[in-house]
Amino acid sequence: MKLKYEPKKVIDVSKSQATFRRALNVIPAGIYGHLGPSEGCMIPVQSYPLYMSKAQGAYVYDLDGNRIIDYMCAYGPNFLGYNDPDVDAAAAEQRKKGDCTTLVSDISIDFAEELVGTINMADWAFFGKNGGDMTQFSVMIARAYTHRDKIVLTKGWYHGVAPWMQKIGYSGVTEGDVSNNLYIDWNAPEQFEALCKKYPGQIAGFISTPYMHGNFTDNVLPAPGYWQKIRKICDDNGIVLIFDDVRAGFRVDIKGTDYHYGIKADLSCFCKAIANGYNVSAICGNNKLLNATADIAYTGSYWFSAVPMAAGIATLKKAKAVNAVEENAKKGKKLTDGLAEIAKDNGFDLRVTGEPAMFYLRLGNDYPSTILHQEWVAECVKRGVFFTSHHNHFVCYALSDDDIQYTWEVADEAYKIVRKNHPDYDGYIK
Amino acid sequence: MDNVTKAKINLFAVLRNIQDLCSMDSEAAELIKGKNISVQFNVKEVGTGTLKFADGKCTFVRGKGPASLKLWFTSPEHFNKLIDGENTIPLFVNVFQVGFLLGVFQKLAARMSYYLQPPADKKAELLKDPEYFKTNTILTAYTAFHAMAEIANSDKIGKACAARMFDGTILLEIKNGPSLNITIKDHLLSVGMGSIKMPTASMVFNSLEFTHKILNGEASTFGGMGSGDFGLSGAVALLEQMGKLLNMVSVYLG
Repeated sequence: MKLKYEPKKVIDVSKSQATFRRALNVIPAGIYGHLGPSEGCMIPVQSYPLYMSKAQGAYVYDLDGNRIIDYMCAYGPNFLGYNDPDVDAAAAEQRKKGDCTTLVSDISIDFAEELVGTINMADWAFFGKNGGDMTQFSVMIARAYTHRDKIVLTKGWYHGVAPWMQKIGYSGVTEGDVSNNLYIDWNAPEQFEALCKKYPGQIAGFISTPYMHGNFTDNVLPAPGYWQKIRKICDDNGIVLIFDDVRAGFRVDIKGTDYHYGIKADLSCFCKAIANGYNVSAICGNNKLLNATADIAYTGSYWFSAVPMAAGIATLKKAKAVNAVEENAKKGKKLTDGLAEIAKDNGFDLRVTGEPAMFYLRLGNDYPSTILHQEWVAECVKRGVFFTSHHNHFVCYALSDDDIQYTWEVADEAYKIVRKNHPDYDGYIK
Repeated sequence: MDNVTKAKINLFAVLRNIQDLCSMDSEAAELIKGKNISVQFNVKEVGTGTLKFADGKCTFVRGKGPASLKLWFTSPEHFNKLIDGENTIPLFVNVFQVGFLLGVFQKLAARMSYYLQPPADKKAELLKDPEYFKTNTILTAYTAFHAMAEIANSDKIGKACAARMFDGTILLEIKNGPSLNITIKDHLLSVGMGSIKMPTASMVFNSLEFTHKILNGEASTFGGMGSGDFGLSGAVALLEQMGKLLNMVSVYLG
């Protein structure tokens, strides 16, 4: 690819770094979780802007005033663009009427109807705040409906941070917490079948993301016929099929990722893109699970907040109107095709996996160490393009062709810097 | 916590440290001057380790081999009692060398305790001495990382963490200080001394002070990463599991 550009300015992140030191005094780990430097794999952390001053469209602006093209989209919620005017207007209108109140707003029914009319498998919807609220609830529903204990997960899973969703050996997780979990490899329906024979009448649910979008590894799409086989095994054995569509929901198919892959899940969990950053999550289910769901005690102080529901309705309506899902996939494809070409031009082997609007990047040159890729990511971040080295990325509708062009130029410059810093880089080639 | 893993840690991490103690501490070096003897510890269900003293140096060797004094412990608990300082008598061969065990060896053990388990009322004062601080921190680090490997290879939960680790080598480095490397092969961990080129992942402590804080539970690795006191690079998936294993060291060593 022919690129002609002036070298990009390296951003100053000193205000963010100073602010982080202040945070360490009063907040565990300063910024805990996936947005923080440790779980966010910000290597080296000194290159990273950590705090935002404002956000707009595809950009986040840090405390030092730098504009950064954000390919993490808050790890998913930014779907249409930060501060989308239509979504914000709907939220503001609802805020005038009320938000967290003793009598709930009937906008909750409007939102449920919008979801039922949008999501192919949905007969009803139930709301919470985070994706983990819904994946936790999905397992409770499966157990309530089947009166069974065990849950099957696929390796590379991430369903949230409740103890059963984590792994033995992780802080605060006991053997008892994960004692009802059974595990199979991704794309291995025969392993699921074997578990059904080993534990007859004991498996309540099969929970999985629509495709394997785990961290630190190439993302893997379902093999042809995979979901159809899983659906059949669930039906044959009375097992509830749960789609964790928290991350992929509305980034692969507006009707649900189960629909995209040709099946109907019994339960589908949504969050992230559903309300363009307003805090609401949802679980959709089919009619056979309605009564079992209604009888479970499960709620939270803000779960009927009306403002995020208004935002959710506006988000879904706008996404349909502008074909945001399809457009985001096109942008993701265009961006990553260009990145792979630029990498090749510089002698690097960039591997792109996953669905286009949720692309995962790694280098073939340095796997599994990822040292060169981490350096490339850091050089991109230093020039105002926020990638990560460990996690899939996200595309938002506000991303423009100019942003993609700018990203390509930064990517090219960053590859040249990594190459210069590592004249011995061939030593990493496997 | 299981007794087999504890005994492995006591043998291959704690007792092993006498090798480094003799190279770092002048009093320990003086104690072994002119000694030419090897002491072998055989622990049922655990394995064998030998401390060889020769030419003013001490070397720890894992596995069986010739030794001038051989000790047998009938169970992991039997050996753990010895390390915990309880009165216990091993079975031994070569009565003529027992004097070394009761004399020099006991003094070396006391020297090790001086660095690794200083009395609570004297600890703060001792740590003000830069040389003591350095020896205490480095010996603690060696113990912790060798113990971590034993946990990965023996403890039930440790094995679960190791099962998530792919083959590779992790470099552990204290800036302007010593380095260690951990090799993972078929989900088994082994520790080597010194630096390596092109590690799969690396973990760098930017100062002895921060290393001390981490090893003594006075700082968080997550916080340290953010503040720049602690740097990671390479295969974070390996480092993540190593972090879980390191967390378990305190279960065994307190």
